[in-house]
Amino acid sequence: MKPRGTVPSAPPAEEQSAPARTLGLRLLDGLEGVRATLFPRGAGGLTPWLFLLPALLLTFLLVAGIVPLLDTSLRQLDRATFRPGEDWTLANFHTLWERPVYTWLAARTMGAALVVTVLSLLLALPYAWLMVRTPRPWLKKLLLVSLFLPFFIGQVVRAYGWLVVLGNQGLANAVLGWLGLPPVTILYTLPGVVLGLVQYMLPFAVLMLAPAFTAVPEEIELASGSLGASPARTFRHIVLPLVRPGLVAAAVVVFTLTLTDFAMPAIMGGGRNDFIANAIYDAFFSLSDPGLGSALAILLTLAGTTIAGIMLALFGLGTLGYVRRG
Amino acid sequence: MQRSPFTLLLGLVVAFDLVFLAVPTLVVVVISFTSGNMVAFPPEGFSLRWYGVLLTRPEFLAALGRSLQVGLVCTALAIPAGTLAALALARWRIRYPTGLQLYLLLPFTVPLVVSGIALMLLFGRMGMLGQVWPVGLAACVINLPFMIWAVAASVNHLDPDLENAAMNCGAPPTHTFFTVTLPAVAPGILTGALVMFILAVNEFLVSLMLVDARIVTLPVLVYNAIRNIITPDLAAVSVVYLLIAVIAIWLLDRLVGLGILLESKRS
Repeated sequence: MKPRGTVPSAPPAEEQSAPARTLGLRLLDGLEGVRATLFPRGAGGLTPWLFLLPALLLTFLLVAGIVPLLDTSLRQLDRATFRPGEDWTLANFHTLWERPVYTWLAARTMGAALVVTVLSLLLALPYAWLMVRTPRPWLKKLLLVSLFLPFFIGQVVRAYGWLVVLGNQGLANAVLGWLGLPPVTILYTLPGVVLGLVQYMLPFAVLMLAPAFTAVPEEIELASGSLGASPARTFRHIVLPLVRPGLVAAAVVVFTLTLTDFAMPAIMGGGRNDFIANAIYDAFFSLSDPGLGSALAILLTLAGTTIAGIMLALFGLGTLGYVRRG
Repeated sequence: MQRSPFTLLLGLVVAFDLVFLAVPTLVVVVISFTSGNMVAFPPEGFSLRWYGVLLTRPEFLAALGRSLQVGLVCTALAIPAGTLAALALARWRIRYPTGLQLYLLLPFTVPLVVSGIALMLLFGRMGMLGQVWPVGLAACVINLPFMIWAVAASVNHLDPDLENAAMNCGAPPTHTFFTVTLPAVAPGILTGALVMFILAVNEFLVSLMLVDARIVTLPVLVYNAIRNIITPDLAAVSVVYLLIAVIAIWLLDRLVGLGILLESKRS
């Protein structure tokens, strides 16, 4: 019997013929030396925090950027000098509350987000279920690839695709023309924005739902079926309640992503169907009123985090959490 | 499940989904091969002229190069930060786990437009604007949760006894980490790195605020071009993005299998 691995010190690095391995081991020895110098007795309870440090710092950049926005939102633009005011005031929030254009903006964005969420979930449920349950490998692969291809192509490129499909010279109107039907104008309308958003959100919804379906043992569905329940009843009373955590996660993700979307309304809305994000951008870059833009930004951030927070408090982190329990 | 009107309905919805997801992409591929000057149906004939246009217009190639640069910076930062964070979260009992997770989920709960403006103002104060690498840093910040998820998923497959065995055999902590822990979570790191790279190459809104006219990235270039007239050269750009996505999916499937993303996180 070879006493391999039982000798605690002096690893037999020299005996190994491959030079790369020796170099690798030496490198590791060097790193170990640095570690031993820095933390001779181990970092103890600090170790997890040292591991977390880079991620905490990167995320802190976001916090460091947002805190000044709070300050800016409390300063009114002085129209005479075009500089932010000296004193803190709630004037910017008052402006947002008072002007009907911002009420409409909020209503349009919320309404569209609600419609997009419902449509995306309705379209995603059968997709996720079939993708998880199908016994046919080719079908599973087709569904996975069809999902990931758009997921890996950005919003601008996908919006361009819709412009080509829906534009005046586009595919949709060409097909309608061949059929002898009058052309439709979906592009640059709110339904057009919703259409583009549903297609963009569908992969997100399916990816949040799929793990929830995987967690439901197929035997439960089979048992329900063998006890005489129709597929519809099984789906309604067995599957849906069990995948509720996934549904909640998908709804939160789709709703907040839509609520804060910029590119789809900007490209497919043609400037007449702006969402809150577009108004924030315009406040900063067209109106040059950073105070107003910051106020709107703070409100949108609060809306997004509050909705997500309430849902998470009610239903737990679900599939959103990093840490698994149980 | 047996056949019934209900399963037929589900099947029809999935068929609709497949067409709905694919149509804009397929149409763009068809248009990119047109020989005409306009986007029109049916296309005027087959040619590669719009791909030729891409190669002769230096601004496209430069923008593509900058986007790839953004992707590399983002991935290089995300791999260590995300891997270490995921290991810490999944392995150790840390105080305030919920608060910590909510903090690390901030990049997702803060709207992208707000993140973009916040980072623009921050980087501006630090004198970092006008360069490409801060865009990669920003892309890493806003997408970091994806990296942590990907690695956390594969920490599941790591048996702590393996590390204990290595230590028992005399391996110092650093050796154990690099020769046992890291190889075990490598599939998650690869998945996360690919996703981060793709997201950064496609990153639009935050780039829009961090770049100026001299250093536009490819999605910003496409966005600016869309606002004028829709020409087939952008279809060729879109096909470049499609190719990048196809390569990424192929790699992901070869390296870890696409099915990894269907796995339950609660097992």
